[in-house]
Amino acid sequence: MSHETFLLDRIGSEDSHTLDGYKRAGGYEALAGILKDGRDPADLIEEFKASGLRGRGGAGFPTGLKFSFMPDPAKDKRTRYIALNADESEPGTCKDRVLLREDPHGVLEGCLIAAYTMRVQAVYIYVRGEYRVPYQRMAEAIAEARKAGLVGKEVLGSDFTCEVYMHKGAGAYICGEETGLMESLEGKRGHPRPKPPFPAGFGLWGQPTTVNNVETLFNLPFIVNRGADWFRTMGTEKSTGNFLCGISGHVNKPGVYEVPFGITARTILEDYAGGVWKGRELKAWFPGGSSTGLVPASFIDTAMDHDSIKGIGSMFGTAAMIMLDETACVVRSSHVIARFYDHESCGQCSQCREGTQWLSQIFERIEAGQGRPQDVELLVELSHGMTPGKTICALSDAAAIPTLSVVKHFRAEIEAHVEHAGCPLRAPAEATA
Amino acid sequence: MTKIILNGREIEADPKQPLIAAIHADETPVPHYCYHPGLSPVGSCRICQVEVKQGEMPARVVVACRTPVAAGMVVNTESEGAHKARKECLEFLLKNHPLDCPICDKAGECTLQDYSFDEGQGVGRSVEPRRKLEKRKSLGDVILLDQERCILCSRCVRFFEEVPKSPQLVVSQRGAHSVIETFMDRPLTGNYQGNIADLCPVGALTLKEFRFEARVWNLKKSASTCAECSRGCAITTEVLRGKSVERFRPRYDAAKNGYWMCDTGRFAWGHANSEERLAGSAVRASGGGWQAVDTADAIESVRDLGALRADAVVIASPFLTVEEGRELLELCSALGAKPSFVSPPANDLKDDLLHTGDPCPNRRGLTDLGFEAATAEELCERLAQAPAALLVGERVGELLGDGLAELSDAKRLVALECHLLDIPAADICIGVPNHVERTGTWINIDGIEGKIGPARQAPSGVWRTTRVLSELCAAVGAGARQPLAKGDAR
Repeated sequence: MSHETFLLDRIGSEDSHTLDGYKRAGGYEALAGILKDGRDPADLIEEFKASGLRGRGGAGFPTGLKFSFMPDPAKDKRTRYIALNADESEPGTCKDRVLLREDPHGVLEGCLIAAYTMRVQAVYIYVRGEYRVPYQRMAEAIAEARKAGLVGKEVLGSDFTCEVYMHKGAGAYICGEETGLMESLEGKRGHPRPKPPFPAGFGLWGQPTTVNNVETLFNLPFIVNRGADWFRTMGTEKSTGNFLCGISGHVNKPGVYEVPFGITARTILEDYAGGVWKGRELKAWFPGGSSTGLVPASFIDTAMDHDSIKGIGSMFGTAAMIMLDETACVVRSSHVIARFYDHESCGQCSQCREGTQWLSQIFERIEAGQGRPQDVELLVELSHGMTPGKTICALSDAAAIPTLSVVKHFRAEIEAHVEHAGCPLRAPAEATA
Repeated sequence: MTKIILNGREIEADPKQPLIAAIHADETPVPHYCYHPGLSPVGSCRICQVEVKQGEMPARVVVACRTPVAAGMVVNTESEGAHKARKECLEFLLKNHPLDCPICDKAGECTLQDYSFDEGQGVGRSVEPRRKLEKRKSLGDVILLDQERCILCSRCVRFFEEVPKSPQLVVSQRGAHSVIETFMDRPLTGNYQGNIADLCPVGALTLKEFRFEARVWNLKKSASTCAECSRGCAITTEVLRGKSVERFRPRYDAAKNGYWMCDTGRFAWGHANSEERLAGSAVRASGGGWQAVDTADAIESVRDLGALRADAVVIASPFLTVEEGRELLELCSALGAKPSFVSPPANDLKDDLLHTGDPCPNRRGLTDLGFEAATAEELCERLAQAPAALLVGERVGELLGDGLAELSDAKRLVALECHLLDIPAADICIGVPNHVERTGTWINIDGIEGKIGPARQAPSGVWRTTRVLSELCAAVGAGARQPLAKGDAR
């Protein structure tokens, strides 16, 4: 546990969410420095590229590179936007909530630095509808910052002008997908858009737009203050810095912890989350949220970074580790997850609309004791029909990937369900009830 | 144009269009549901998957409707990967489809059937209960929606948004619960509702008029031109077992109607299907009643009647073709008469899309030939003062209106009509084919020719209008009937 931390350091004081609290901890110095020096945006992009910062929303795309996709404002005179994706809805993921609630000014400064870097005129913060306190804190922070001349026209007396608006989601998971989010912001149904065109060329209202995760932009002020070289001292070569790990499930101390990339999953589980609860053994875990492949306990010594997790056939995702203890039934947990994606599919693409429902129905049937021997293979074939990249967005993949992983690692348990005509793990009393 | 490789051949492709358009332009089949060339592509049904290789990247299976054409791209519609992807997609589309093809009006022209036959799998692997939704949901006077059959391609939604620009349909609910609905269950409005039944790739949207009327494979389809206004939309006439017209449907014509037609034209088969046809010809009997005669005899009677004279009023129907008009001009010049055609007033159906509000499909053609357009009132006044009259063409009597009935029975009046013109003034009625029974050319408001085509035979005993006219012409010139072979009725 002896590693450098910075992301959550300000959190803990009573007024960490206020402007006073933030400024006392050195807040807005990065932004003020940039504006005072009139930093060249191209310089900043290089700095972010050099830092190796990768997006924290799930895909892990290099942030500096993403910023550089925005068209040159000298040639493209259109209005430009940032959409901050605070629609954190992946089951297991809860890291952005902490930042929005406890350190909203940090989020805001990150947005403003990104806006300066990409010469954006307005930032839209799309907050998950259920996040009432985080929304309120964020709104208050923006109001405070506006009063202090940090948001709006001529920020801190410079020629940099940036508006920040907030939007509350209405409860759809799909609005966390970047193009679904943009549609929703435009007042339409949250139907993801086919790509191309990509948001940098045709985003919100058809204007150049970059969609970023909260935690991603939260890192920017630190990189500006302390430099890319400092940032690279943490983490691994290809996954630099620290990340917020939201660990949940059958553990003693679920929560959001700041850890460096490359730390083993076991360290997070044992040293941070206090180990598996009730003295039980670990059975399986999701490394990065419910849409990443389920892996068995034997992989617990894997390092938590994009490449290592990819190496065990899963994804780093949003680093939302969900731990299942030995009593958990993988068919039941698969059904819970499949039902979630069935419920959240927007219904545009045939494979996703029908496939998510079908997977959920099959898992439900197997768990209820009506599974057929051919259902296991059917699960695999249907999942292959839904992934990879067969649909407009990745929701179809998000439903298929955990299904494929569960069959890969726990085929015997599914077959036992079929054979026993029900869950073999359930206590006899429960089974007969 | 850009060069791409399609299934091993180099073809020209329009870089402004999606890849699927280039493939279709080459007449290579690629399944598609949500894509329609007349609507914006959304790429949601995912059935048009083809294999594409660009540059050094490995070949990928992509949807052709959302893939831009790029120079040198190598496209394979028949690769194993593409077939497999389409087969998988079909299985998902059929997962909740009710498979009620035996009673579905779309059966036979349903692309879900066709593509499943081509590439689908013969075995259904789902044992789950199928979605239960509304099977008979009325969307107004024209359309009936079967939500269970719907595959949510959203063509109908986009049609109203993009073509008549009056958004009326929505996809409501989410995921597997998605359904097509009108906002607040309001009935559809407008004159273009019928198009969504053509657009629907499955049997979800059907025309109330066509429901359970015919199996589509029993319909004979012929290219023709719509008779309802001077736009002259290209259409297909669909006739059941050589008898009744069951449907008019739009036929693609870039210069005139694109892919669409209005409901007024779509359902305008009333006259064509009318039972009270004049199957041959009829002459006024001595007692005042009508006596059926051969057309050849009727023509001789016209000569005997003395109706063919210079001061006869000659009035054509606005449905006359250019060819018939020419023949009638010959007759007029032989008589020394001046031809005009009935021009009904413009109706209030005019819109910004197709309907011109002018009910004369061949106004331009007849005017160009030298026919004078005149209103029914004007013409009836002229008729009242003339000693003889010749009315030529389908519905001419109906369009001249009530004024005809008031004409004196002393007048010598000959009508070439589809129906018996039972007015006191009429002496001879010669049956002619209507617009689904004859061929010819109409010229639309913009000067574009449109062929009308015979979709069925006229009743036996009815001659072509041009033939009747040329016989009449001969009768004027020669003063004696040309010998006609027996049985040469057509």
